[in-house]
Amino acid sequence: MSDWALAGRLTRRDLRTRFRGLRLLLVCLFLGVGALAAIGSLATSIEGELASRGQVLLGGDVEFEIGQRRAEADERQAITATGRVSETVRMQSMAIRGEQSVPIELKGVDGAYPLYGQLSLTDGRKVSAPPADNAWIGTALADRMGAKVGETIRLGSAKFKIGGIIADEPDRLGEGFALGPVVIVSLDGLGRTGLIQLGSLYKTKYRVRMSEGNPAAAVKTFEARFAEAGWETRTRDRAAPGASRFVDRMGDFLTLVGLAALAIAGIGIGGGVSSYLAARRRNIATLKVLGATSGIVARVYLIQIAVVALVGIVAGLIVGAATTPLLVTLAGQVLPVSPDFAIQPAPLALAALYGLLIALGAAAMPLVQGADVPAAGLLRGAIDGRTGSRWRAFGWIALAAGLLITTVMLTAAQPRISSAFLVSVAGALLLLAALGWAIRAVASRIPHPNRPLLRLAVAGLHRPGARTVSLVVALGLGLTLFVLLAAIRTSLDANIQRTVPARAPALFALDVPRDRATEFSQTIRQSSATAEVATVPLLRGTVIAYGRTRVADLTKLPPEAFILRGERGITYAAATPVGSTLTEGRWWPANYSGPPLVSVEAVQAKALGLKLGDPLTVSVLGQEVTARVASFRTVQWDTMGFNFVLVFSPGTFADFPHNLSATVNMPPAKTGAVMRALLPRFPSVSVIEVGGVLKQIQDVVRQLSTAIAAAASVAILAGIAVLIGAITAAREMRTYDAVMLKVLGATRAQVLGVQAIEYVLLSLIVAGVALALGLGGAWYVVVQIFQFEWLPDVGAVLLTLGAGVAITLIIGLLGSLPILAARPAQALRAL
Amino acid sequence: MIAPDNGRNMVIDARGVTLSLGNPPTQILHGLDLNVEQGTSVALLGPSGSGKSSLMAILAGLERASSGVVRVDDLDFGALDEDGLARARRGRIGIVLQAFHLLPTMTARENVAVPMELAGVADAYDRAAAELEAVGLGHRLDHYPTQLSGGEQQRVAVARALAPRPALVFADEPTGNLDTATGAAVMDLLFARYTELEATLFVITHDPVLAARCNRVIEMADGRIVADRRQ
Repeated sequence: MSDWALAGRLTRRDLRTRFRGLRLLLVCLFLGVGALAAIGSLATSIEGELASRGQVLLGGDVEFEIGQRRAEADERQAITATGRVSETVRMQSMAIRGEQSVPIELKGVDGAYPLYGQLSLTDGRKVSAPPADNAWIGTALADRMGAKVGETIRLGSAKFKIGGIIADEPDRLGEGFALGPVVIVSLDGLGRTGLIQLGSLYKTKYRVRMSEGNPAAAVKTFEARFAEAGWETRTRDRAAPGASRFVDRMGDFLTLVGLAALAIAGIGIGGGVSSYLAARRRNIATLKVLGATSGIVARVYLIQIAVVALVGIVAGLIVGAATTPLLVTLAGQVLPVSPDFAIQPAPLALAALYGLLIALGAAAMPLVQGADVPAAGLLRGAIDGRTGSRWRAFGWIALAAGLLITTVMLTAAQPRISSAFLVSVAGALLLLAALGWAIRAVASRIPHPNRPLLRLAVAGLHRPGARTVSLVVALGLGLTLFVLLAAIRTSLDANIQRTVPARAPALFALDVPRDRATEFSQTIRQSSATAEVATVPLLRGTVIAYGRTRVADLTKLPPEAFILRGERGITYAAATPVGSTLTEGRWWPANYSGPPLVSVEAVQAKALGLKLGDPLTVSVLGQEVTARVASFRTVQWDTMGFNFVLVFSPGTFADFPHNLSATVNMPPAKTGAVMRALLPRFPSVSVIEVGGVLKQIQDVVRQLSTAIAAAASVAILAGIAVLIGAITAAREMRTYDAVMLKVLGATRAQVLGVQAIEYVLLSLIVAGVALALGLGGAWYVVVQIFQFEWLPDVGAVLLTLGAGVAITLIIGLLGSLPILAARPAQALRAL
Repeated sequence: MIAPDNGRNMVIDARGVTLSLGNPPTQILHGLDLNVEQGTSVALLGPSGSGKSSLMAILAGLERASSGVVRVDDLDFGALDEDGLARARRGRIGIVLQAFHLLPTMTARENVAVPMELAGVADAYDRAAAELEAVGLGHRLDHYPTQLSGGEQQRVAVARALAPRPALVFADEPTGNLDTATGAAVMDLLFARYTELEATLFVITHDPVLAARCNRVIEMADGRIVADRRQ
C-alpha cells in the first residue's frame, strides 16, 4: 500500500470523531473565500454586462461626437459611408411647467434612434423619436413635476405635449453623468425650442450601425481624415469607459479588502491547525512509536486539513456567489448596471485559489512541525514540537506567498495599488508579531509583581507555550480594523459635508446670452437683492497642437495630460481668475489687445512639457486659434466656481459666437423666486440648482461608504474569528492554571480576574499600535485609492477603538468561561 | 557487563551510550554498555529519573543516542534518522506503554492492525483479529478504546505490540495503571505470547514480583547501570 493510501485510511479513522479543532480553519476560509467570491462575481458580472451591452450602451458600433455644431457635409458623408447612422443632440436645459422648473438633459433624436436596444415607455410602447410637438420624459421628471401623459411642458421657447414616460433609455449609461432627468424630443422638436444657436453648449452624436467592417478601423480612417476638427470617437468595446474604470477600481479595492480578510483568516488558520495538531501530539507520537514516518503523519493531517479547507472553500464559493444579487440590491446607485444573477466561473476559481494558497501557507508551519513530534515524547510527560524542520515549512510558505502575490498582480487592474496594499498588510502583520515578541521579552524581564493575580497574569504573557504573539496579532488586527473603519467612515462623512462649501453658489447658469449679461444679473437681483452674479465666457475647444507637437501625430497621449482628451471648456479673461495664483510668467494688462496669449494650469503645463512662449493651438467651432503661453498658474479646483485649465487673453475669441456661464450666490430660500423670474425672460438659459447636484454626489459617496463598511465588516468578522481561535488555543494551558488555582483556593471570580488583567494589559499595549496602523491604512484608502480629503473624526475613532477594546475583552472573557466550569477533581484526573 | 551465552544471537549491542537532552543540556545517560541475547526477558529497575525510560527509548529506536554505538537486531541505530528508525521499528520492535496510548479514533482491531499496515502486511486485519482473539478480546474487535476497561485496553496494547511478531518487545511499566490482579493477568499474557514468538522482552518495572519472572535484572541509578544479574 502506498504511503498516500495508508495515510488516507488512517485519515478516515481519525476523522470519525468530530474535527472540532478545525472549525476555525473552516470558518476563516468560509469568510475569506465567501467575501472574495461575492466581490469577484459582482465585478465580473458588471464588467460582462458593460461589455456585452456595448452596442446598446453606446447606441451604435461607433460613435462620432462633436461639440457646438453638427457635422459638415463631407464629415457627414464620411460617417454615412461606415453604415446606418442615427443623429442625436444632447444639451443641458430646463423643463418648465407652470411655476415649476427642473434642470434636464434635453436630447434630440432622429427617426433612426435607437440603432440598438429599445426605447421603451412605461405604457409598454417601444418607440423612436416622438412627433415634433411631443416629448418623452424621464420618470424622475414626471415624479418631480407631478406631470402626466397628455399634459404640456415648455422647453426653451416651445411647448411640448408629454407623449409618454420613459421606462428604459437604452444608451443612458453611455451618455455619462447627467445633471437631471432626460427629456427626448425629435430633432425637429429640438429646432422648435430655439435652444440650438451659434455658441450654445450642445453635443451632436452620430452613432453608426455597421453591417460590416471593423469599428476600430472605421474610427481610425475617420480620425486620420478629420484629425483636427475636434471629433471624439468611441467604439462599442469602450461604451462606458468611466463606468468600466469605476468598476475596475472598486473591484480592485474590494478584492484587496477580501484578500486582507483572507490574510487575517490565514493567521486564524495557522493558529487553528496548530491547536488541532497540538491536541493530537499524543496520537502522532503513538503512530510514530508504531512505525509511522513523519511523511505518513504529515500526509494524514494534510489530507484532513485539505478536506476541511475544501469544505470551507466550497461553502464560501456557494454563499459568495449566491450573495451577488443581494449585493446588487444593497449597492444600488453605486453600480453602473444591475447585472442578472449568473455563476461566474473565473472569479470563483480565483477565490478558491486564494483560499487554497492561504490555507497552504498558513498550515505549512504547524503541519511540518506537528509531523515531527518525536516518538520518544510518549515516554516523557511533555511532548514538544521540534523546530529543526522550520526551513522546510518556510519553503512551502514562500511557495504559497509567491503564487498568491503573482496571482494578485496578474489579475489586478491597478498593480501599483495592489502591491502597496500587500506590502502594507505584510508589514502590519510583521509589526504586530514583533510587538508580541517584545511584550513577551519585556514581561519576562520586569520584576515580579507582589499581587498574586497580577503576577500570574504577567507570567501568562511570557511563560513557555504562552500564546502572546498570536493573541497580540489577533487583537491588533481586530482593533486596527475597528480604527480603520471608523477613520474611513468619518472621513467620507466629512467629505460629504465638505461638498457644500461655506459659500457655495446656489445656482449655475449655462448659455446666458453675451449681450444680455447685465439684464440677467438685474433680473436675479430683482428677486434677491443681495445675490452676487459672476459671469464668465464659456467656449468648447480642443487642443490640437502645443510646442512643436501636433496631437494628431502622437501615438500615445502623455499620461496625466487630460487636457488633450477631447473637447474642454475654455475661457478668456482680462484679470487673473478668482482662485488662480500665478506661478510663472506674467498676466497680460487688462486692456491687452495684441496677439493671443494663454495662461495654462501648472500641472497640465508640466504634463505637456510646456515652456513660457511656446505656441498652443486650439480648435474652436472648427477654427484653429494659436496663442503663446504667457503664464502658468495653480487653480483651486474645489471652489465650486468655473475653473479652467486654459484662460486666453481678452479678444482672442471676440469673433466667435459664444455665451456666458454664471454662478449665483444668494440665500437658497430665494432660489424658487429667482428661477420664476429668470426663465420666462431667458428660455434658452439652463439653470442648475447646486443643492440637487450635491445631493446626487453625496448619495453616491454615502453608498460608497456603505460598500466599504460592508467589505471591511467581513475582515472584522475574520479578525474576531481569529481572536476566538487564539483564545481557544490558549485555553488548554489556562485550564491547568485555573484548576490548580481552584485547588489552591481561588474563587472563579479571581480566576477570571487573571484573564481579565492579562487581556487588559495586552489591549492597552496593542491599542496604541492599532491606532497608528488603522489610521495609516484608512489614510491610504481615503486619500490614495478614492482620492478624497483626509478628514477623520479623531474623537469618534478613539471611541470606536475603546469600544473595540471592550468587545475584544468581552470575547476574551466569554472564551475563558469554559475554563471556569472545569471542576478540579475531574480536570485533575484528565490532566 | 555480562558476557553473552555462547551460541545465542545478540539482539542488542550497545556500547558507550550517552544521552543529553534540553537546553542547557542535561546528561541523562553516562556511557552505558549493554548486550542482550535473543529470547531473553530483561527487567529494568531503578528509581524515578535513573534513566530507565531513556535507555529504553534509545534501544527501541524512539530516541537517538548523543554518542556511542547502538546495534539492535543487526541494525546500526546510530546511522538512521528519525524516519529510518520508524521504518526499523516496523515488524521488528513492539512497544507497550504504561498509559496504553491506544488511538482513540480507532477500534481495537484497527489499533492492532496499524503497525502491520505501516509495515505493509497484506492481511493486517485478519492477523489483528487473531491476535486479539489470542489475548482474549475476540468479542471486542470493533470496540473503541473508551468502550474498554483499563485491563482490556492494555491487552489491546499488548496485542498491538506482538501482532507484527517482533524480535523485541519493550514494555514501560505495563501494569502501572492497572490493579494488581489485572496487572498480573496482563503480564501472564505478555510472557506467554513473547515466549511463543521467541522474542526478546524488555520490561521497565518497579514491581519486584514482575522482575523476578525475568531471566535477567538490570538496575540503574543516575544514568548508569549499577547492577546486572541473571536469574
